Amino acid sequence: MFRNTIKGLGPVALAAVLLAGCDPKGKDGEDKGDAKSDTVATIVKVGGSMFSIPSPVQTALLIERSGIGFDKNILNPSTKVTNYATNYQKALNLGVYGADVGYVTIYDQSQEALKYLNSIRKLSDELGITGAFDQNTVKRFEANFGVRDSMLNLVNVAYRNSDAFLKDNDRLNVGSLIIAGGWVESLYFTTQLAKKKKDQAIITRIGEQKYTLNNLIKMLAPYNDQPEYKALIDDLIELAYDFDAVDIQYTYVKPVVDVANKTTTINSSTKVVITDQHLAEITKAVEALRNKIVGQ
Amino acid sequence: MRKTLMILGVISAISLSASAQCDSIANLCAKHVVASYISDGQSYRALLFNDQPAEFQSTFYGGATYRIAGCSGFTDGNLLFSVYDKEHNLLFSNAEQKNAPYWDLKFGSTLDCTIEATLNSATLQSGCGVLVIGFKQ
Repeated sequence: MFRNTIKGLGPVALAAVLLAGCDPKGKDGEDKGDAKSDTVATIVKVGGSMFSIPSPVQTALLIERSGIGFDKNILNPSTKVTNYATNYQKALNLGVYGADVGYVTIYDQSQEALKYLNSIRKLSDELGITGAFDQNTVKRFEANFGVRDSMLNLVNVAYRNSDAFLKDNDRLNVGSLIIAGGWVESLYFTTQLAKKKKDQAIITRIGEQKYTLNNLIKMLAPYNDQPEYKALIDDLIELAYDFDAVDIQYTYVKPVVDVANKTTTINSSTKVVITDQHLAEITKAVEALRNKIVGQ
Repeated sequence: MRKTLMILGVISAISLSASAQCDSIANLCAKHVVASYISDGQSYRALLFNDQPAEFQSTFYGGATYRIAGCSGFTDGNLLFSVYDKEHNLLFSNAEQKNAPYWDLKFGSTLDCTIEATLNSATLQSGCGVLVIGFKQ
């Protein structure tokens, strides 16, 4: 439930979005994997916003560059795949495993990555997602062992194809859960690792999730009438209250265009301010949410 | 009853056709995001009419270069896309770059942005608009 003490307007505004109600697409909480014949596919719908949540791979790359060594303990074991019985659990953990496979791939743990890929394939099959994670994807992944960026791209393209399949089949709710699972796992990595090493780039990345969290809540908001989704959204709103203490100062600077290289350099800047106390509160809340998702 | 079934059938056919069209455009558009970029793992698509925009809320991380490709129809230049910051300052518009089908945006700091996409009304009145985003660090 929402906190009694209102700490800021951000989460209140988010709650207002939920209370105002949104267009409930893909309402079946226990999605059976069938395309609905009585609704027009989501792509035909015009209006409203769509949300882009950054790839967990980007944060895993930041972790590796910060010099923090590989830590298997922060992962959700691939063997737990058989524990997920409902489509809600499967979708969330398909996202979690996506972040995990990115992390192990970046640290050149190829055999471990393969185990995660097989768990991903199992969850994907059980969710009725076709054409994204097939045997061919696994073979191509193996063929690219040692070529890190190619391996990462193969996995991310497969996730993109899965997202497209779900959107084509009016199953945005499942797609949103996959994205949510990946985001929570990625934030779990950074918060756990920041406990070990006070790396400023990692701490800044944690604070930057304030905006992404808002987008994630808005992405899930249309499904707030389903109990499982509502519980997740409530947890995310709780987390948004913790993030409300993060101060992000923005300064606009005119971009510079390089026409010859088809590149624009965005010079605007943001400064993230987060205290140790607020970081500790966020870390605790993320750990609880992530462990609820993976079933610990 | 028969009429209702016919209407549902037509809607389903339109829906399937639109999905297939979007898939084809997305495959073409993905070719602009070359191998040195890693896909962001998401699919962005909307059926657009006239000058009605589709809006995408996105976070771009500092220290990364993003390639954004925007496509509609089966030729380049049919989708206009603009990137705004949270204060609605224009950061980039492909309309200012001869409707370029893709562009690289290099971010020094993490920014919360809005991408607005509309059809180029000179060439298309309706169609599936697709954005493909890749990154390198």
